[in-house]
Amino acid sequence: MLLVHCPYCEQTLPELEFTYAGEAHVARPDAATPVSDEEWRNFLFIRNNVKGPHYERWRHFHGCGRYFNAVRDTVSDRFLITYKVGETRPELSDLLEKSK
Amino acid sequence: MSNFRVAGRGRIDPQTPVKFTFDGKSISGYKGDTVASALLANGIHLMGRSFKYHRPRGAICAGSEEPNALVGTRRGTGQFEPNTRATVQEIWDGLEVTSQNRYPNLSFDIGAVNDRAYMLFSAGFYYKTFMWPKSFWDKVYEPFIRAAAGLGVSPTENDPDKYASRYLHTDVLVVGAGPAGLASALTAARAGLRVTLVDENAETGGTLTSEPQAVIDGQPALAWAEAATAELKTLGARVMTRTTAIGYYHQNMVGLCQKLTDHLPKPDANTPRERLWRVRATQVVLAQGALEKPLVFDGNDRPGVMLAGSAQTYLHKYGVRVGDSAVILTSHDSAWYAAFDLADAGTKIVAIVDTRSAPAAELLAQAQKRSIRVLSGYTATGTEGRLRIKSVRVNPVVNGKVGTAETLPCDCLLMSGGWTPSLHLFSHTKGALAWNDDMQTFLPDRKTEDCEIAGAGRGLWGIAAALNDGAQMGATVARHLEKEASANEFGVEGDRPGTGVSHKELPTDLNPGKARAFVDYQNDVTAKDLRLAVREGMHSIEHVKRYTTNGMATDQGKMSNINGLNIAADALGKPQPKVGLTTFRPPYTPTSFGAFVGYHRGDHFEVTRKTPIDSWAEENGAIFEPVSLWRRAWYFPKNGEDMDAAVSRECKTTRSAVGMFDASTLGKIEVVGPDAVEFMNRMYTNPWTKLAPGRTRYGLLLGDDGYIRDDGVIGRLSDDRFHVTTTTGGAARVMNMMEDYLQTEWPDLKVWLTSTTEQWATIALNGPNARKLLEPFVEGQDLSDEAFPHMSIVECTVAGFPARLFRVSFTGELGFEVNVPACHGRQLWEILWEAGQKHGICAYGTETMHVLRAEKGYIIVGQDTDGTVTPHDAGISWAIGKNKPDFVGKRGLERPDLVAEGRKQLVGLLTQDGITKLEEGAQLVLDPNQPIPMKMVGHVTSSYHSDAVGRPIAFALLEGGHSRMGETIYIPMPDGVINAEVTGTVFYDPKGARLKL
Amino acid sequence: MMALTPAFTPGPLVSGNVVSVALMAPAGRLSLRLGQADIPVLSAAIGIELPTRIGTRAKNGPVDVICLGPDEWQIQTDATDTQRLTDACAAVYAQAPHSLTDVSAREITVQIEGPGATDLLTIGCPRDIDKIAIGEGCRTIVDGVSAVLWRDGANSFRLDIWRSFAPYVIGLLQTGGAELAAE
Repeated sequence: MLLVHCPYCEQTLPELEFTYAGEAHVARPDAATPVSDEEWRNFLFIRNNVKGPHYERWRHFHGCGRYFNAVRDTVSDRFLITYKVGETRPELSDLLEKSK
Repeated sequence: MSNFRVAGRGRIDPQTPVKFTFDGKSISGYKGDTVASALLANGIHLMGRSFKYHRPRGAICAGSEEPNALVGTRRGTGQFEPNTRATVQEIWDGLEVTSQNRYPNLSFDIGAVNDRAYMLFSAGFYYKTFMWPKSFWDKVYEPFIRAAAGLGVSPTENDPDKYASRYLHTDVLVVGAGPAGLASALTAARAGLRVTLVDENAETGGTLTSEPQAVIDGQPALAWAEAATAELKTLGARVMTRTTAIGYYHQNMVGLCQKLTDHLPKPDANTPRERLWRVRATQVVLAQGALEKPLVFDGNDRPGVMLAGSAQTYLHKYGVRVGDSAVILTSHDSAWYAAFDLADAGTKIVAIVDTRSAPAAELLAQAQKRSIRVLSGYTATGTEGRLRIKSVRVNPVVNGKVGTAETLPCDCLLMSGGWTPSLHLFSHTKGALAWNDDMQTFLPDRKTEDCEIAGAGRGLWGIAAALNDGAQMGATVARHLEKEASANEFGVEGDRPGTGVSHKELPTDLNPGKARAFVDYQNDVTAKDLRLAVREGMHSIEHVKRYTTNGMATDQGKMSNINGLNIAADALGKPQPKVGLTTFRPPYTPTSFGAFVGYHRGDHFEVTRKTPIDSWAEENGAIFEPVSLWRRAWYFPKNGEDMDAAVSRECKTTRSAVGMFDASTLGKIEVVGPDAVEFMNRMYTNPWTKLAPGRTRYGLLLGDDGYIRDDGVIGRLSDDRFHVTTTTGGAARVMNMMEDYLQTEWPDLKVWLTSTTEQWATIALNGPNARKLLEPFVEGQDLSDEAFPHMSIVECTVAGFPARLFRVSFTGELGFEVNVPACHGRQLWEILWEAGQKHGICAYGTETMHVLRAEKGYIIVGQDTDGTVTPHDAGISWAIGKNKPDFVGKRGLERPDLVAEGRKQLVGLLTQDGITKLEEGAQLVLDPNQPIPMKMVGHVTSSYHSDAVGRPIAFALLEGGHSRMGETIYIPMPDGVINAEVTGTVFYDPKGARLKL
Repeated sequence: MMALTPAFTPGPLVSGNVVSVALMAPAGRLSLRLGQADIPVLSAAIGIELPTRIGTRAKNGPVDVICLGPDEWQIQTDATDTQRLTDACAAVYAQAPHSLTDVSAREITVQIEGPGATDLLTIGCPRDIDKIAIGEGCRTIVDGVSAVLWRDGANSFRLDIWRSFAPYVIGLLQTGGAELAAE
C-alpha cells in the first residue's frame, strides 16, 4: 500500500483513500469542431505504457474528492511529484534531478 | 521428571507444570515450554515424517525456521491447525498435538517405502515420471499426486476463532528484540520517538536467552534485556512479542501477525486468536539476526541431528539437554560453546569434530579443560539409527583426501555450518544483496526503503557488536527523523564472537551417488538432486529451485538457500554471486488465512447496504438478492409460493390494481448551479435546455467511446437544480465520471454535484390504482393527468413528509415515485401499505420489476447492454439531442466501427413453441446444422415468463438484429435446439395507453 | 452492548470504561459547495467564517462547519436549524452562486469516546489518527467505507456514515469494542 501526497489536502495519506484514474495530460479534443477518427481513437485508447516515470491521474476519492496529477515510477512505485489539475506538466529532467 | 531437564536453567516456570498430548500420549512440561522443548525434555526426538520419503525426523532447530517438526495442534471443534512448528507452539493444559504425514503411526509408517525407492524420486521426478501415457493422467497420476501432496490435513469444520486487524503508525519499527533490536529501540525511544518493537518469540532478548553467561554493562544479559524492555515500555514504546513481521511492502509498510491466544489454556471469547497489523513506519530497523546452517552429509537428517546453536537454546531457554552423549560437528566456532555449555550441564561430549584443520587455540584450551576430544580437519560421512541417531561416521581429510573412517556413538549430533544473516524482509523491499567472500554469505547492500539493518543481519557477530551496532542504527534513524540521539557504547563480558567457514556437501569416501545428504529437509532435496538438476540443464538458480523444489518448503529456504547455492555454484563451476539467490517472498513464516481475512467473514464478509425499507421487507418474508453492494427485496412469497408463483401474482396485481416497490437504491445526484443545464447538456445525450422546471426526462449517458454507460430519469426542480437518478449499480461510477469531466475538462462551469442517493427513500407506486392510493396523502399538488402529467416532478408533502414526487413509470402502468428523507422512508411505506389494502396493493420485488419493464421494452443498462452497445444498437437513438454541439459520446458515435453494418443490436425474441423460456446468456446461431464450433451471432440478455403477454419473452443482442425482424434464429442447448422469432422489444401496450390513465 | 435497530434509534452501542460508542440524535446536515471568490459572502450569510484549509473547522452556536475539499464544506447543526441556513444561503444565491444541499438524512453519526477511542478507530481507518488535531477532522475511509471523522477531543470523535453502510461499520465498531474491553 502506497502513501500518496494529495496536493489539495497537502498531506501524505494512505493509498486506500485514493483511486487511480489513468494516464494524465490526455486532453479531450474539442468535439464541437471536426476531429479526425485517428485523433479521436488516440484520445480514447492510445496510452503510454511506461516502464519508469509515468504521468498519471489519481483521485482523492475518500478525502477531498479532487482529481490530481502525479508522476510515479512504475518500476519502483515511487511518486516523484503530485500536482493540481491545471498546473503545468513538470519536466521529467527537473524531477529526476530533484529526486537525486 | 525426565533426566533431560536441567534444574535451575531456562525461562520456563517450574512451579507451573503443564500436560498436553502428543499422538494421544500425555506429555508433561512446564509453562514456557514449546511442544518441541517439552518432547525433548522427555527424551523424544522423533516428531515428524518428511514429505517425499517419509523419513523419520526430529526438530532440527528451536525457532520458526523449523522444517521437520511440523505437527497438527487442536483446541476443540474447528480449532485445528496443521503444519504448526513444534518449536514455536507453546504448550498449555489440554493442548492436543498430532504428528503428520505418517500412517498408521509415527514410528511405523507405510509411506516410508518411498525412502527405499529413493532412486525413483530424484530431482524432477514429477516431470519425468508422470509423462505418459496421456490416459494415465486422470485415473492414475493426478490422484496419486493429490494424495501425496501437502503435509498436514486441512481442517474441514468452520474455524470458530476470531481474527482481527489494526493499522499502526509509528516513527520507528524495530523488527527483532535481540540485543541489536533492543539497543536500537532504546536509542530511538530515548530520543523521544514513537517506537514499536516486535519479536516472534514469547519474550524479548533474542540470542541473549541462549547466552545467559554474558554480562552487559555489569548486568547479567537476561536482566539487562528485561530492564531494557521495561524502560522501553516506560518511554511509551509498543513492545509486541509473539508477533512476526511477515512482509515488508512499499514505503515502509510492514505486515505483522500477532498471535494472541495460541499459548493460553482458556482464552477470553472476545480476544482474537491472531491480529494482523498493518504498520506504517517512518523508519525501520531490521534486527532479525542470523540463522544457523546445517552441514550437508549422508544421514544428516536423523532424529537427534540438530543445529548446535539450537541445542544451546534448548539448554538455556528451556532447561533441556537434547541428549546424554553428543557429537559436535562444526565448521564454525559457535558450536564449540554449545559443546562447553552442554558439557557443563552434564551431557557427555563424545567429540568436537571440526572441518577446519586448525581451530582457535582458545577453543582448544577450553575443550581440553573439559577433557573433550577434538577431531579437527574431519568430515562426516554417515550416520546410523532408525528413529534416533546412534552413531556418526567421521573421517580425517588430509590434503583433500578422505581418510579412514571412525564411528562415534552418540544420541545426538549437533552441527553448525555457520550462520546466514536473516534478510528475508530486506529482500521483500527489493533491497540488493552483495556476496561477501570472507563470510561466504550475502549481506545487505543497496536499500530501496527508509530502513537500516543492525547486528547479525549485516554480518556482525557477537553480543557487543550487535548491541553497539543496534545503538548506532537507532541513532541513525533518529537523526533521519531530526532527533538528537547518541549511541551508547556497551561493555560486554563473556561475549563469544567467532568465525567459521562455509561448505558445499562434505567430502566423503563412500559413493556420493548414494549419499542421502539433505539440503532442504522438508522437501527431501539432497545434494545429489541439485547436481543432477544442473547436469540436466538447469543453469539458473530459479530453475534449479523449481526442478528440485529446493527452498520451496514452508521454511522458504531459511535452512537450505545458502547450502543449495554453494552446491549449485560448485556444480555450475561459477562463483556464488554469479549464480545468485532465489527471491524471498512474504510471508516470512506460514501465516493463517484467518489472519488475512480478519473481520471479513460471516455477517461482516463484505458491506451489505440496506435501504430504509429493508427491515419491512425482511419482516414481511421477502427473499433478497444482491445488487452491487445492496441487498434488495427480490420477491415477496405468500403462503408457500415459489418464485414463479410470487412473481406472477405480483405482476398481475401491479397491472390490475397497484404494486409498491422500494426503489431507494437508485443513485441520486443533485446537480446545482448557474451552469447546471449546460453541464447536463454536455454530460447526457439528451437536450436539457428546453426542459421546464417541474418536468422530467429519460437521460442517457454515454462514454466518449459512444457506448451506453448509464441511464435514469432526471427531473428539473428549478432553473439551476436537477435531480438526477442513475442505475443502482452505476451510482458511484456515474458520480465519479461526472466529477472527472467537471474537474478536469470543464473546471470553468459553475455547477456542483452532491450525492443524495441516501438522503432519499424512494417508493414507487405503479398500477391503475396508484393515483387513487396516493392522492389523499399529497398536499401541494393536484395529481390529475392534466395538472401532473407523465414525466413530471414536484416538491410537495406526502403524508406530512417533505417529498419530491415524480410521475414516472418503469412498468408501463400509471406510476409515481415518492422520495422522502430516508429517515421517514419506512414510516411512509407503512402508511401507503395500510392505505393500499383497499386498493388491492401488493409489494413487489426486483424480479417483478424486471418482468414488467421487459414487457414494455425498457432496457436495463448492464444487463441488456455490456459496454459495447450504442444507443442505436439498443434502439434508443431518439434520446440523442441532434442539435447539440457536443456531449460526452457524440464524436464517439461517429467512429467507423460504431456506424458499421452488422453490429449486434437489441431485439425481442419469442420462442416459437410459445412455452419455452430461454436461458439468459444462451448463444444464438443462424444455422443449427452447421458443424461445431458454430458461428455465434449473439446472446440472450433478458428472459422471463410473461403473464401479460401470455408466453415467455426475451431480449437478445443479435448481429444485424434490426434487419432480421420476423426471421427465425436458433438457440442450441444441451438437450436440443430452440427456435425463436426475432421481434421488436415492446411486447405489451405498445401505444403506452396505460401510462396516461 | 446494544443492538443497532433498523430505525437507527439513538443510544449507546458499545459501553465500557475503555471505549463507548453511541448513535447520536438526528442532526441537520448541509453540503455547501462554492468557488473561492464567494467564500466571504457565504460566510456572512451563515454567520461563520468558512475555514479554508481542508480538515479545519469553525463553530458558532450549534453550527459546526468542516472544510472537506477546496470547494466543499459540510455544515452540521441542530435538526431544526437547517431551514434558517437554507434561507440565508438562498438569499445570496444571485450574488454568490453555490450549491446547498440538505443531506440530513443521508448519514448517521456515532460518537466514539474513551481512552480506547483511537485504538478502536485503527481497526478500520488507515489514517494516522494521532495526526488529526483536536477540533479538526477529515473525510477518510473506515473498513472500505467513506466516512467523515470529527475529532472533538483527545479521546472523543464523531463519525458520519452513510445510512446504508452504517450497520456494517457499526458492527465492526462493536466487535472492536468487545475486543478492546477484553484486552
